[in-house]
Amino acid sequence: MSARSFRSVGWVAGVAATALGCYMVNLKVASERAALEDVETRIVLAERDIRLLQTEIGTRGRLAQLEKWNVKVLALSAPAANQFMDGSFQLATLMAPQKVPDPAAPVVLASAAVPERQPVLASDGPSVAPQGTATAASLLHTASLKRETVPAPVAAAPQLVAKKAGKPRSSVQPEKAVAAPAKPVKVAAKPAIKPASDLPTKAGSKPAKTAVKAKPPSPKPVKTAAAPAKPVAKAKAKTQEAQAKQ
Amino acid sequence: MNAPTPALVAARPDRLRLVGQRRQTLAIMHQRLMFGMLVYAGIIAVVVLRLLWLAAFGDHAGRKTTVTTSAPERGDIVDRNGQPLARTIDAWTIAVHPPKIIGNKLDLARKLAVLMPERDEAGWLQLLRSNKNFVFLRRRAAPSLVETVNALGEPGMALSREPDRLYPQTDLGAHVLGFTDIDGHGAAGMERAFDKRLTDPATRGQPLVLSISAPVQQALEHELLQAKTTFSAIGAAGIVMDIHTGEILAMTSLPQLNPNIAGNMDPEARFNRATLGVWELGSTFKPFTVAMAMDEGKVKSMGQIYNCPRQLHAFGRTINDTHPFGRACTVAEIMQESSNIGTAQIAAQTGAEAQKRFLRGMGFLDPIAIELKEKGRTLTPGNDWSGLATMTVGYGHGIAVTPLHLATGYATLFNGGIYRPATLLKVGREHAVPQGRRVFSDATSYKMRALLRLVVTEGTGGKADAPGYRVGGKTGTAEKLIGGRYSKNVVVTSFAGVFPMDEPRYAMVVMLDEPKATAETHGWRTAGWNAAPTFGRVVSRIAPMLGVRPDLKREPNMAEVLPFIRKED
Repeated sequence: MSARSFRSVGWVAGVAATALGCYMVNLKVASERAALEDVETRIVLAERDIRLLQTEIGTRGRLAQLEKWNVKVLALSAPAANQFMDGSFQLATLMAPQKVPDPAAPVVLASAAVPERQPVLASDGPSVAPQGTATAASLLHTASLKRETVPAPVAAAPQLVAKKAGKPRSSVQPEKAVAAPAKPVKVAAKPAIKPASDLPTKAGSKPAKTAVKAKPPSPKPVKTAAAPAKPVAKAKAKTQEAQAKQ
Repeated sequence: MNAPTPALVAARPDRLRLVGQRRQTLAIMHQRLMFGMLVYAGIIAVVVLRLLWLAAFGDHAGRKTTVTTSAPERGDIVDRNGQPLARTIDAWTIAVHPPKIIGNKLDLARKLAVLMPERDEAGWLQLLRSNKNFVFLRRRAAPSLVETVNALGEPGMALSREPDRLYPQTDLGAHVLGFTDIDGHGAAGMERAFDKRLTDPATRGQPLVLSISAPVQQALEHELLQAKTTFSAIGAAGIVMDIHTGEILAMTSLPQLNPNIAGNMDPEARFNRATLGVWELGSTFKPFTVAMAMDEGKVKSMGQIYNCPRQLHAFGRTINDTHPFGRACTVAEIMQESSNIGTAQIAAQTGAEAQKRFLRGMGFLDPIAIELKEKGRTLTPGNDWSGLATMTVGYGHGIAVTPLHLATGYATLFNGGIYRPATLLKVGREHAVPQGRRVFSDATSYKMRALLRLVVTEGTGGKADAPGYRVGGKTGTAEKLIGGRYSKNVVVTSFAGVFPMDEPRYAMVVMLDEPKATAETHGWRTAGWNAAPTFGRVVSRIAPMLGVRPDLKREPNMAEVLPFIRKED
C-alpha cells in the first residue's frame, strides 16, 4: 500500500534526478567549452602580440637603418671577385703550412749516395762514407764587413770534408746503424722520398757487408737500413756544428 | 440522452431544433478549446525545443565575440623571402568630443598644448569651445602620449584603437608598394592594384608575396640615391629583373617616398619614374636595332662594314656622333663607340615595318604590362613613321618609353628572344611563368652577348664593369625635350645591361634624370660617367646575393667581335 502510494513520489524524484543529471552534464560541457574558447582567445591575443613585436623589431631593424650604420660605422663592402673560393680544396690551400728553410737540415743531393768502392784487398780498410752529408749551415756564406773573416768558412768547408773523408769509418758507427734499425722505422718514410730509386738498395747493402755479412739485401732492411743513414748524418751534422762553433 | 423518444412524445420540431443547436454549440466549443490548447502546446513545444537546441548547440552567455581570429584587417604584403613590407597594426587614435568635456576647458587646452604642440593654447581652446561634435586629434599616436592623455582623466577625450597601415621598411620599395588613403583603401602601387585581394576576408589572411627581394631593393636604392646626390640629379630610377621569369627583383624611383606619410609627401616623390614616366632613352636602344637587323638578315656578321662619315645627312637632317669615325667601321665598332650614324644606317636598312613589328613584339608600343595601375603611355612616331623616324628610333630618339619597357626589352633580347611581361608577383605554384612569345631568334640573342660585353670591356661602358661578374650593357645619354626643343645641357642618362653575360640571368636598368657634371667626371655628364659606374656598383653588391659567382676567367665568346674592332693608338 505504502509502496504504491510512494510510487508517484519515486517517479517524480527519478525524473528530477535524471533532469538534474542531464543539466549537470550540460553545464560541465558548457564550462569546458568556455575554457577552450578562453584558451583560443589567449592564443589569438598572443599571436597578435607576437605580430606586434615582430613588426616593431622589423621596423627598428629595417634595412635602411642597417645601411646607415654600415655607412657610418662598419664600412663593410661587397666581396670582390678574388675573395670567392672555388671550393673547400682552395680554402685548404690557404691554410697549408709555409715551407721555412731550415739551415740546420742536412743537404740532401739527388746523387747523395755514391756507390761504395769494393775493397779489393783485406788491407784496403773499410769503405769510404759517401759525401754530401754537409749541412746547409756549413755551406752558408754569411756576408760580413770584416775582410779577414771571409776566407775562414771557405777554408773550413774543405777541412770538414777532408776530415770526414780522412776519418776512418770506425766500426762503431755501423754497429750503431745495425743496433738502430728497429727504432726509426717510422722516420724511414721521410728520407725514403729523397733518394733516387737505386739508393735504398745500395744503402741496404752497406750494413749488410760491414756488420751482418750473412744477411743478403732484402726488401725488409731496405727501410730499416735507409733510416740509419739519417742518425749518422745527424750525428755528423752535430759534430760539424760543434766544430763550426769552435 | 435527453432527447425525447418519438414513441412516447409527439415530435416537437422546435425542441428538436434546440437540442441540435446545443449540440452544435458544444461541439464548436470543444473544437475551439482544443484548438487553443494545441496552440499553447505548440508554443510551449517551440520554446522547449528552442531551449533544448540552445542547450545542445547554442552559445553561452560568456562567449566573446571581439577576438576570434588573428587575420589582419588588411592583408600583409611581404617580399619574396617573406619579409614584411606592409602590415596592418592596431594604432591608437586620440580624438575629442568638445560638448562632452566636463572639466575646465582652459586648463585642458593648456595641458594639450604641452602634449601636442601642433596647436598653441589659444588654438586648443578654440577647438574645445567649438560646436563640433567630434574631432580627431592624432592618428597613430605614440603609446606614451596616449597614456598621458588618459591620465588627464577627461571623459571628453576619446582614446580608441583602429587598424592602421604600417610600412616597416619605410622608403624601401615605396613605389612598388604604394600607400593607402585615410579609409584604408589602396591609393597607389600594389596596394591599389590588389586592393580587393587585400581586403577580402577570404584572402586577406594570406600575405601577398611580391617578387621584390628586400636586400636587392635596398642595395639598388642606396646606390642610386648616392648617385643622385653625387651628380645632383633631380630624379632616378632603377630596375632589376629576372630575364627568364620576368620577375622584378627590385624597382625604385627617386626622390624617395615614405608611404607611412604619403599624404605629406611631395607629388614629385609620389611619381613613379620607373613605370609612369616615359623618357627618350637614347643609345640604350641601339642593341635592339642591331638585333632586328640581324634577325632580318640585314646584318650577317659583327664585321659588316658601314660607311661612317663625320656627319650623316639624311631626310634634310644632320646626324652627329660624339666620337665620329670618319672612316668605314664595323658593326662591332658602331656599338663600341655608340655611333648614331652607323646605327641610323642599320635601322634604315631594317626598315620601318620590321622595326615596328619588333618594337610591338617587345611591348614597346603599348603601355607597360605590369600589375601596377601607374602605367605611362609610350610616345612613338605613330602614323608618321617615316624614314627619318626609323633612323632616329634606331638610336633611341623620337620614341619615349618607361625604364621598365627598356628592362623588359633587354630581358627579351637576352633570354633567348622570348618576350614575357614583367611581373611583381613571385613566380611559384600560384603564379606560373607565362608562355611568352618569340621576338628574336635564339641565335641573335646569343650573338648579342659578345657585342654588349664589348661595350663594357672596350667601349663607352667601361665603368659599369664589376670584376668577375661579366657585365654587358649599353650606355645611353639622351638630351631632354624642353619646350619642344632638345636641350644641350639637360640630359637623361641611362645604362641598361645584363649579367653575367656568358649566361645571362638578370637585366638591370639604371636611369638618372638631369645629372650634372662633377670634378670627378672631368666635366662630362654622359652615361658612361654617371649611370655606368652606378650600375657597376649595384652589380657588385647584388650579384652575390642573387647567387651569381664571380669568376675572372669566364667571358662570353668574344672571338665573335674582337677581330672586328680597330685599336686606336
